[in-house]
Amino acid sequence: MAFKLKIRGPRLGTKLAMMGLTLLVIPWFSYLQLVEMERLLIQGQSQAQLLTAEGISTLFNGREDLFNDLPINVEDFEPLYALPLQSTIRLDGDAEDWGEDAQKSYLQFGSALGNSDADFSLLLGERDEYLYVHMRVQDQSIVYRDSEYLRLDNADHIRLNFIRTDGADGRVTLVFQESNVITGFPMDEQWRYSATGNADNRIQGVLKPSPDADGFFAEFRVPLDLLGSRTFFGMTFIDVDDVVDREVVASTQTLPPTEKQNFNLVVLRTPEVRKIVQGLGYAGARILVIDNQQRVRAEAGSVRPESVSDAEQSWLTLITVWFDDIRPWFHQLVTGETLDQSLGGRASAIDGVVDNPADKAITISLGGEPIALRNKVSETQELILAAHPIISSDEVIGTVIVEQNIDDILRFQRSALEQVLLLSVLSLFAIFIALIAFAGRLAWRIRNLRREASSAIDARGRLKKSQLFSEIRAGDEIGDLARSVSNMLEKLNQHNTFLESMPRTLRHEINNPLNTLSTSLQNLAEEHPDIDQSKYLASAQRGVNRIGSIVQNLADAANLEESLEAEELEIIDLDILLSSYVANCSLSHPGINFAYRGSNKPANALVSDFRIEQLMDKVIDNAVDFHRRDTPIRVQLDCFRDTLQISVANRGPTLSKEVRKSVFDSMVSHRGQENRLHFGLGLYVVRIIAEHHGGAVNALNLQDDTGVAFLVQLPLAGSRERGEDEMFRTERAVSTG
Amino acid sequence: MAKNIVIVEDDPDQRSNYMDAISKKGYAVRAFGSREEALGGFDEALPDLAILDIILGEEVDAGFQLCRELLTRAPNLPVIFLTERINEIDKISGLRLGAWDYLPKPISLDYLAERISSLLRINEVRSDQDRKESSSEKNIGFLALDQDALLVAWRDERIDLSGTEFRMLAKLVRMPGHAVSYETLMNATMQSLVTNNTINTHMRNIRKKFEKIDSKFSCIKSEYGFGYRWLDQ
Repeated sequence: MAFKLKIRGPRLGTKLAMMGLTLLVIPWFSYLQLVEMERLLIQGQSQAQLLTAEGISTLFNGREDLFNDLPINVEDFEPLYALPLQSTIRLDGDAEDWGEDAQKSYLQFGSALGNSDADFSLLLGERDEYLYVHMRVQDQSIVYRDSEYLRLDNADHIRLNFIRTDGADGRVTLVFQESNVITGFPMDEQWRYSATGNADNRIQGVLKPSPDADGFFAEFRVPLDLLGSRTFFGMTFIDVDDVVDREVVASTQTLPPTEKQNFNLVVLRTPEVRKIVQGLGYAGARILVIDNQQRVRAEAGSVRPESVSDAEQSWLTLITVWFDDIRPWFHQLVTGETLDQSLGGRASAIDGVVDNPADKAITISLGGEPIALRNKVSETQELILAAHPIISSDEVIGTVIVEQNIDDILRFQRSALEQVLLLSVLSLFAIFIALIAFAGRLAWRIRNLRREASSAIDARGRLKKSQLFSEIRAGDEIGDLARSVSNMLEKLNQHNTFLESMPRTLRHEINNPLNTLSTSLQNLAEEHPDIDQSKYLASAQRGVNRIGSIVQNLADAANLEESLEAEELEIIDLDILLSSYVANCSLSHPGINFAYRGSNKPANALVSDFRIEQLMDKVIDNAVDFHRRDTPIRVQLDCFRDTLQISVANRGPTLSKEVRKSVFDSMVSHRGQENRLHFGLGLYVVRIIAEHHGGAVNALNLQDDTGVAFLVQLPLAGSRERGEDEMFRTERAVSTG
Repeated sequence: MAKNIVIVEDDPDQRSNYMDAISKKGYAVRAFGSREEALGGFDEALPDLAILDIILGEEVDAGFQLCRELLTRAPNLPVIFLTERINEIDKISGLRLGAWDYLPKPISLDYLAERISSLLRINEVRSDQDRKESSSEKNIGFLALDQDALLVAWRDERIDLSGTEFRMLAKLVRMPGHAVSYETLMNATMQSLVTNNTINTHMRNIRKKFEKIDSKFSCIKSEYGFGYRWLDQ
């Protein structure tokens, strides 16, 4: 058919699946949102930290006195740095519990080589309001305090001088008891006798002779508040070697020899500052107060260490790992910038110097600008540094740094990302499955409907079904379609029934008046014998007969299928039938030459014999009408595997392509005007009979274009089920061969 | 005394045409336009022969019903149906209503008259109980044919054939073994507008009636493209 073009687009399922791809915007947007959220959270935290820093710095604004505890110029002093100690110190003379860093921080005092008697090295530490001191002292003989003497300066001892909280000079002597316990006594101005007579219990320590017997280790602690807020102090080791005369033989002090000052400076976090800061500390954050010399003056809290949660399920970790792999790629795909740029790039973007963000924060804030930076300390840990300057009289005297982990945010973001991704993948998968299932079902339903709808009408356009059954109960649009098509078919069927019954109705309606006419004419002739011979009466009778036969033919053709149904079929050898038939043709068509070539073997077919005869009548009539004079009409019977073929060929005019297509249709006649008794029903009858027997018909021009051949193919007996394609194959074989 | 003939035909023109034609042949004719009227007429007096149109007004089977009614009252009453369709021939053939014939429309009044006289005569012959072996009786093999009484027997068993069928069979067996052309058979039907198909339908019906009493019956042979042939078994 002409409209059967190759119209083929993507199938319904493909279309729906493609539409399903738009769902990919969900993870896309989620990711963008998460990135934005992360930015907001980090900004929020930065703001909060900055505010905290600002708040703390406000506390210090104008309080340069707190920092003035320290001399402005540190170079005037020999500073003694006290380490902040991480762990609890056991006073046992061993410095092992001071931590590894401590071992390198001994300060050497005494002779230049450090191997003379009374030389010592010193380690200072600070923890829990105490100043811890560890000394390694070179001393050939340890002279313990002899409790018989009231004087305390006639044995090995350590003098501490400092400025007390009340501003007065403080003097404490640490003496060594025989039990290796160190006891501290407040001293008089001459460093001879105890000022109070009682030991100061707040000072504790132990002595431990060195294993090489060339000295000892002293470890003791002094409460910081004893030293006053300025924490100046000096330390002197007094060496007494002779137990008998108990003379001081050497002393080593921490003061520089050329020094006018009496004290060393112990650089501690300023206790006042620290007290303030400690009140402000909060969980997970570290607060540092740094002076304009970039020295840490106070510290509170600690950055919460990275929480390790490896106890998750393995597949989740797997996803995490996988996610870590794809994230940079994904990030770039979604946001268009690399992950590192958006994460850490902001800090270095400030001045283009790739530097330690902490240093930068300090530098910038000491320059007077508050700043918040992200600081990636390790692969998995990231901090936010917020620094706010402390200002006094328009001068920056220090800065407050608030340092906080953004682990929480990152972890949140990561898990949210993972969830989004996982959910997206799962939901995409689910939706895809659902869409495909839906589309499949839809397509299946539509295909069913299409199949049924197209099978409702056969190749000749005749209605085979008056209604559809599939999808007729469906409530959706396909159901509507099915119902409307079914409705259409029903109406078409009604119309068809009307059309089919019309010839019969027509015959009935025409026959009665025709009968009236006919009988009237007969009566007329009877009544008036004189007009019986009239040519008008004769022609009137002929006309009546003509109309009668027309109506009869039409009705017969219309009833043909119905009456074929009532026909009883029997197995008949068509070779016998045809040979007899063709032989008789010569009798009924005198002057015309018929030739028959049989199949040489029985051609048994399940047929109604006189219908086949009727079929042959029509084909032969046709051939006789169109044959060229004095040329034979050839009838041939061929047997193939499953079909037999009757071909009737005559020389004469050929058929055009259009005629060949329509020649077997009803009411189509190509005989022209001169032959009015034919209504184009003959070959239509041929086709209907052939099709009723499970066969097919075809009209061909002869190979040399000298005539036409009409082919009728019928299934051989016992092969009815074997389909039509077999038949078409043989047809092709004939037409090409 | 003139034979009493009833015509039942719903179309008044045709009815009067039949009446005129038949009256002229010397019969007493009564005509009715519907089944009810006809039944009323039968109550008054039963006719010697009835001519029935099958379709009366809206009633498609009215002719058959009337025929049945008549035959219960007078089993041997000859009936002629006026039909329109070939498939009605089958229907009539299947009814086995007794002595009857039919004529398809458009009707030839001559044929109608001939049928009437033929059926009336047959009825007379059949009702003549003491009838001797008729000279019109003919035997061909197992077939016995009584032309006058329109009776057929096969192996001494009677077969009911309609008038048309009988005439066709008689033509077929006139020269056993010789093919009889469709044309000859057509003439024998005494109908106008007869096609090969009509002949085939009649022949099939005749064959069936024979096969009913003798399943091995195969005397009627098709002579494809020409006609039929009677073969002695």
